[in-house]
Amino acid sequence: MSSSVLQYEAAVSQPLVEEVMKRSGQNLVACYQCRRCAAGCPVGEEAGVTPDQLIRMILLGDREAAVNNLLVWKCVACYTCGTRCPNNIQTARITETLKQMGKKAHAAPLLPRVADFHSSFMAATGHFGRFNEIEGMAIYETKTAVKELLKGKLKAVIDEVIGQLKLGAEMTKKKRMHVGLDRIKNRSEIKALYKKAKNR
Amino acid sequence: MEIAYYPGCSLHASSQLYDIQCKLVFRNLGMELKEIEDWNCCGATAASKTDDFLAIALPARNLGLAAATGLPEIIIPCSSCYSRTLISQKTLAADPALKDAINAELGHKIEGSIKVSSILEALLAKVKSGELAKQAVKKLEGLKPACYYGCLLTRFPIDVAVPDDVENPQGMETVCEALGAEPVDWNYKTDCCGASSSISDAEQSLLLMSRILRDAVDRGANCIVATCPLCQFNVDAYQDQVGKRYGIKKRLPVYFITELIGLSMGIDPLEMQVDRHIVDAMGLLKELKLI
Repeated sequence: MSSSVLQYEAAVSQPLVEEVMKRSGQNLVACYQCRRCAAGCPVGEEAGVTPDQLIRMILLGDREAAVNNLLVWKCVACYTCGTRCPNNIQTARITETLKQMGKKAHAAPLLPRVADFHSSFMAATGHFGRFNEIEGMAIYETKTAVKELLKGKLKAVIDEVIGQLKLGAEMTKKKRMHVGLDRIKNRSEIKALYKKAKNR
Repeated sequence: MEIAYYPGCSLHASSQLYDIQCKLVFRNLGMELKEIEDWNCCGATAASKTDDFLAIALPARNLGLAAATGLPEIIIPCSSCYSRTLISQKTLAADPALKDAINAELGHKIEGSIKVSSILEALLAKVKSGELAKQAVKKLEGLKPACYYGCLLTRFPIDVAVPDDVENPQGMETVCEALGAEPVDWNYKTDCCGASSSISDAEQSLLLMSRILRDAVDRGANCIVATCPLCQFNVDAYQDQVGKRYGIKKRLPVYFITELIGLSMGIDPLEMQVDRHIVDAMGLLKELKLI
């Protein structure tokens, strides 16, 4: 995307465009770059990529740029882009799709903490059928701490622990900390759904 | 009258007070909230980000359990749970093959007809019927809430007929006005607080919350009111951090809408556990002589 002249080759673009359209259900060829999505995106500025630019990357067949950019990881799924899109394109669905495509291709997440939070959430939910904050956070903090320690980021780990302890103390003071573990009876149904998801 | 109820994980953990308040307030409005048996987590944003099948299948199991109650309507207070459940219901109505694939794993099959309502829709029906006015006797004079909707009450990734203005919704204002409060007009009512990014992408989330807090303060609000436990928790628990980082001195209590209604109904704030907020929520009520 750095070149000032757009390169377009239908044979390169078509497979990527078709894959994203099929998986996300979004008619992204309808995008005419009006940038209403860009104006409303709450994370576009910090991500350095706005929804219209993400769609353009896909239309130009730039798989690497489309999968590996901060918008995919910073998207908060607020659905502002899609609500305002005159062509009803939900770019938030596209970021979800690209994230899943990246995972399938074993691409390293640009924001590992975001990936770890979502996977920890799903692990905790799959375990007891409900998301227990204390369990989900324990899995998440362990995952991120191990990764960051391996990278020698000791200060990041300490800062994170201090931050969480402060929040935890405040929550405990106000009796907002819930320590019990909620679990459902019919966990086998949840396990069956998880299994089916894995095999699809 | 009985109505099906899905509290969601948050109302069984850090936002237990909201669960208590929902039950108290709806009981006073003549509705018994019947929690559906053995409900599971809806998967929230994590499922939609990571697995398209589970994002539909997890709430679908709850729809099956809700159908088994035989009740015509289910109330879901959390915006994320509400959004995911409604998306699942509408997606499955249009995709019989997916519905069959999910039903094959479930004891209670999904039957598509139960009405999925947000807490706001259910409350607005009570404003319209005049039942809220009968119960909400104490006027909340001097309370100037910034009504905070967040993302998922009015914006969906699929076509959903939203019964309010998606850019400038008025539902919460309607409820607040029925209680005698004076909601402020402001710009950030449907902006995102960052949801779980307060944990995983904290800088981004703090920036988003600073815009919300600053505008609420600038517009003369003396509190924020929310229906979503995730929005409420974020703007409450991280407010001090946001204020310090972005130079906003004022702190605003972040009420659940049920707290304002309960107060107006004369329910004891301690019974509603209003003292469990991170930013003190009792002081303003005392200052305004509402308790």
